[in-house]
Amino acid sequence: MSQASDPVKSEILLVEKHVEYVKSLDKKHDEIEYWMTEHLRVSGVYWGAVAVHLLGRGDALDRDGIIAYILSCQNDDGGFGGHVGHDSHILYTMSAVQLLVMYDALDKIEAKRVVDYVAGLQDKVTGEISGDSWGEKDTRFAYISLAILSFFDAVDTIDVGGVVSYVQKSMNYDGGFGSGPGGESHAAQVFTCLAALAIAGRLDIVDRDRLSGWLAERQLKSGGLNGRPQKLEDVCYSWWVLSSLKILGRVHWVDRSRLCGFILSAQDPDAGGIADRPGDIADVYHTCFGIAGLSLAGYSDCPLVEVDPVYCMPVAVIEKAGLRGWASRLPKEWK
Amino acid sequence: MHGRRRQALKEPSVDEKEQSRQRVEKYCALNNSVMSLRANNVFTASALDQTKRLLELNTELHTVWNYRRQVFEHMDLWQDTEERQRMLEAELGFLFEIIMKNVKSYWMWNHRVWTLNSMPRADWKKELGLVAKLLALDARNFHGWDYRRFIVSNLKKASEGSSGSSGGEFAYTTEQINRDCANHSAWHNRSKLLPAVLEKASSAEAQKSLLRTETDMILNAIYTDPDDQNAWLYHEWLVSIQPSDEDRCHLLRDKVAAIRELLDLEDEKDEASNKRPLIELVDALAALDRLEAVTDTEKNECLETLRRLKSIDSYHVGRYSDMIQSLAQRWDLGSEHTSTMISQ
Repeated sequence: MSQASDPVKSEILLVEKHVEYVKSLDKKHDEIEYWMTEHLRVSGVYWGAVAVHLLGRGDALDRDGIIAYILSCQNDDGGFGGHVGHDSHILYTMSAVQLLVMYDALDKIEAKRVVDYVAGLQDKVTGEISGDSWGEKDTRFAYISLAILSFFDAVDTIDVGGVVSYVQKSMNYDGGFGSGPGGESHAAQVFTCLAALAIAGRLDIVDRDRLSGWLAERQLKSGGLNGRPQKLEDVCYSWWVLSSLKILGRVHWVDRSRLCGFILSAQDPDAGGIADRPGDIADVYHTCFGIAGLSLAGYSDCPLVEVDPVYCMPVAVIEKAGLRGWASRLPKEWK
Repeated sequence: MHGRRRQALKEPSVDEKEQSRQRVEKYCALNNSVMSLRANNVFTASALDQTKRLLELNTELHTVWNYRRQVFEHMDLWQDTEERQRMLEAELGFLFEIIMKNVKSYWMWNHRVWTLNSMPRADWKKELGLVAKLLALDARNFHGWDYRRFIVSNLKKASEGSSGSSGGEFAYTTEQINRDCANHSAWHNRSKLLPAVLEKASSAEAQKSLLRTETDMILNAIYTDPDDQNAWLYHEWLVSIQPSDEDRCHLLRDKVAAIRELLDLEDEKDEASNKRPLIELVDALAALDRLEAVTDTEKNECLETLRRLKSIDSYHVGRYSDMIQSLAQRWDLGSEHTSTMISQ
C-alpha cells in the first residue's frame, strides 16, 4: 500500500508532563478559571481521569477522594450536578457514572435511583430525551441516556425504539446527524448518534459510505480534523470524528500519522496538557480528547491504553462492565 | 478554552497578582451569595438582580439560570399578566446583550426559549428579525439556525401567514444562498423545506420544474467551487428524490458530463484541484450502475480514477483502496486485478 509521501516529523507524547498537568488542576485556586468552571467539575474530573487512564497511569489521581466527591454531587432526584449543590443534569450524571465505573465503585450508589432519574427524562410520546427537568432536547442526551442505562443493564427501562426513531429523524442528506430533527450535521453530534445506535444495536439505519466519506473530509492539510465543513481544525474533533469512523469500521479513511502529528503539536511542552490548536492554552477537555484521539489513531511511539469508541473509557473497563457487545452487533454487511 | 493563545512564560507582576486575587474574590463572593439565596428558597427582586450580575460574569451556570426562572415563577408580579409581560421583555433585552457576547452558550438559548414561551404576548415576528440579524453576522451559527426553526414553528402555530411558512423560509434560504452559495447551513435548512415545497406544487409538471431549478442552483454552486463536498452531496440527495429512475439516470448522466467539462477546464492546474470531481465521477458512475448498465470502459475508468486519486490525495489512500476493492468485487474484476490496484 502506498504511504503518505511526507510523513510528519515525529514529536513525542509528553506522558509525564500530561500526568502532572492533570494532577495540578485541582490546585489552581488562585486562578479565576478554576472557579468559573466549578459548575462542570464532575466532567472535568472525568476528562482528567480518562487522560491519565489512557496514559497507563490510572493510579495518578486520588481514587477515594474522587469517589467521595462524586457521591457528594448526587441530588435527591437521583441525578448528579456538575458540582456539590448544583442542579442535576444528564450531562453530569453521565460523567459521574463513568467515573464510578472507571474506579470500580458503581456499587456505592443505588442503581434504581439513577435509572429512575434517566428513564424519567424520556418523552413517552416522541421518544426524545431531555437533559434535565427543564426539557431541553438533544441527540447528545439520547446517547447519554442509553449509555448510562447500559451500565446498570437497564436499557429496557426506556423506549429504545423511540430513541432510535428520534436519532433517525435527526439524520441529514450528507449522512450526518444534527442536534435534533432539522439540525445541521456536526461531527460531535454524529458521534453521539452513532454511539447511541451502537448501544441500541441499530447501526443498520446509517448510510455508512456516505457518512464515512463526509467524516474523512473533515481532515485538513495540517492533519487536524474539523467538526463541520469550512471550520477550523480542533484537537477535540480527533475524538468526535475518529470515534465515529472507528464505530463505522473506517478509521483508516483518514491519515492517522498526520493526525497524530497535529495532536502532538498542540501539546504545551512546558506545563503539559493539550490545547485546541498549536500555540493555544491547554485545557483538560482537549487533553482528554487529544490523548483519546491518539489512542484511536494507533499512536505507537509510547504505549497507550486502548479506548472504547462508544464509551470514551478504556476498553478493559468496558469489557469488565460487560459492554463490548456493541462491537458484535454491527450490521452483517459491515463485516 | 477554544482559541486562547499561550503566552511566553512570565511571572505576573505584584499588581497583576493583586488584580487577579480581587477578581477571584469578587466572583466567589457573588457566586456564594447566589447559591446561598437559592439554598434558602429566596425568590425576590434582589435574587433576580444578583443572578443577573453573576450570569453576566459567567453564562455557563445552568443551575443559576434554573434558579432565575424559579425566582420569576415564584414572584407575585408573575401572576399579573402585564407585569409578567414587562419583566420578560426586559429579560429578552438582557439576554440579547449577553448572547451577542457569546453566541455558543446552550443555556442562554434555552433560557430565551423559556422566556418566549412564558410571555403572555410573544412577538415572534420581532424574534425572527432578530435572529436574521444574528445570522447575517455569523451565517453558520447552528444555535441561531436551531432557534430560527423554533421561532418559525411558533409563527406557524400562531398564524398561517407568509412569514414563517415553509415557502417563506424556503425563500430565505434562497436569499442566503444567492449571497453565498457555499453557505452549508442554508443548504441544509433548504433540504428540510424542499419536500414540503414539492408537495404543495400544483402539478407533476410544476414539481419537475421546481426540481430543475433546484438542480441548476446546486450545479451553479458546484461550478463556483468544485471542491465543495457539500454541494455534491446535495446534488446526490436531489438525485435520490427524483420521481423516477429515468429522471435519476438523466440527472446522473448530466452530472458525469458536467464533471468531464470541469476536468477539462482544470487540466492546466494543479492535479490536486481535480480531487473532488474525480471522486464524484466514480460515485456517479457507480450510482448509475445500479440503475442501468454502465460500459466496461466506464468501469475501468472508475478503477483507474481511484488509482489516480491515491496518488494525488495521500490523506485518503485507505478510502480509495476500499472503494477499489468494493467496486472490483461488485463488477467481478478478478482478485489479481484488484490486488495490483490496491498495492499501486
